[in-house]
Amino acid sequence: MSHDSHGHGGDAVGFHAPHVVPSMLFFKVLVALLFLTFITVAVSRVDFGSANMLVAMGIASVKAALVMTFFMHLKWDTPINNIAILSSFLFLSLLFIFTLADISTRSATDPALNEVAPVLDYRERWGLLEH
Amino acid sequence: MSDGHALPTTPTPAGFVPHEVAHHYNSHVQEYQSWKLAFWLFLATEIMLFGGLFAAYFVYHDLYPETFRVGGQQLDWRMGSLNTAILLCSSFTMALGVRAAQTSEKGKMLTYMILTVAGAAGFMVVKYFEYTAKFSHGLFPGAYFNPHGAYADAFAGLSGANIFFGLYFTMTGIHGLHVLIGAGLILWMIKRGAAGRYHSGHYLPVDIAGLYWHLVDLIWIFLFPLLYLVP
Repeated sequence: MSHDSHGHGGDAVGFHAPHVVPSMLFFKVLVALLFLTFITVAVSRVDFGSANMLVAMGIASVKAALVMTFFMHLKWDTPINNIAILSSFLFLSLLFIFTLADISTRSATDPALNEVAPVLDYRERWGLLEH
Repeated sequence: MSDGHALPTTPTPAGFVPHEVAHHYNSHVQEYQSWKLAFWLFLATEIMLFGGLFAAYFVYHDLYPETFRVGGQQLDWRMGSLNTAILLCSSFTMALGVRAAQTSEKGKMLTYMILTVAGAAGFMVVKYFEYTAKFSHGLFPGAYFNPHGAYADAFAGLSGANIFFGLYFTMTGIHGLHVLIGAGLILWMIKRGAAGRYHSGHYLPVDIAGLYWHLVDLIWIFLFPLLYLVP
């Protein structure tokens, strides 16, 4: 797959040869994923207070990493493909950090901002309620 | 290649259809890597799509923690766990299907992809039973939220339940749409794969359909704990 093929129509195709991974590796990843699913359900029964969210998202992130690394072949993929997909998580974290920084610090500036706005009853607005 | 116009083909095992490298690529490596980069970028946009919904979930989870806790209890965690296991197993069979395409094992490739589509069908059947149960209890999204009897009592004094079910149906609905599209892509791969188009010299389309299917799995890995187990 190394030699250059100039122009078109030559028989030098610069062939991409598949990278074949042992089936057993995929099976081990599946077992790990199913085990982590069991752990996810089990720890949801334990009250860690606000840490439950961090624990649940932490386990989910490990599962996601396993799927991407092995099932999606990222471990053996090119650096540019790794950058392309991993950068989406970077931008996602920006969205989450600034949104949650706003929501979770509102009471620090004005307690009134922490009050939940009343939910508008759109059924009434759209005439869906029978009077 | 004597006429000067024929396109270069990749090495083709006996009994398979040769793959011609499209004329605008310099090499098969370039063709393969261009498609892969393009598809990874597409998957990045898919992550941003669901990311917006996850951000909405976190905001309303923060505003209505008790409502979300009660909302999660209305969903059946057994059904959710079953669907998680189904998707994880189907991701595994798809990974094996792509591997069989790489090694030109046509029969194995088709079997694994059929198993993957069976997983997709199983997932949608479970989802159908879940959705119809919610509808029969009046647990509709947004403006149509109108819980009956015990379901109304569960949310007594709590606001934002319509938002929880709005997020539940939007997130699982868009995810379900991806399950259907993924199954459709794999069925297409089965049809063309049966005709001998995919082998060690050309497994790119199966690879890409596989990546899409793994993304469906990836999204569900986060949806399951957030909706069914509400931390």
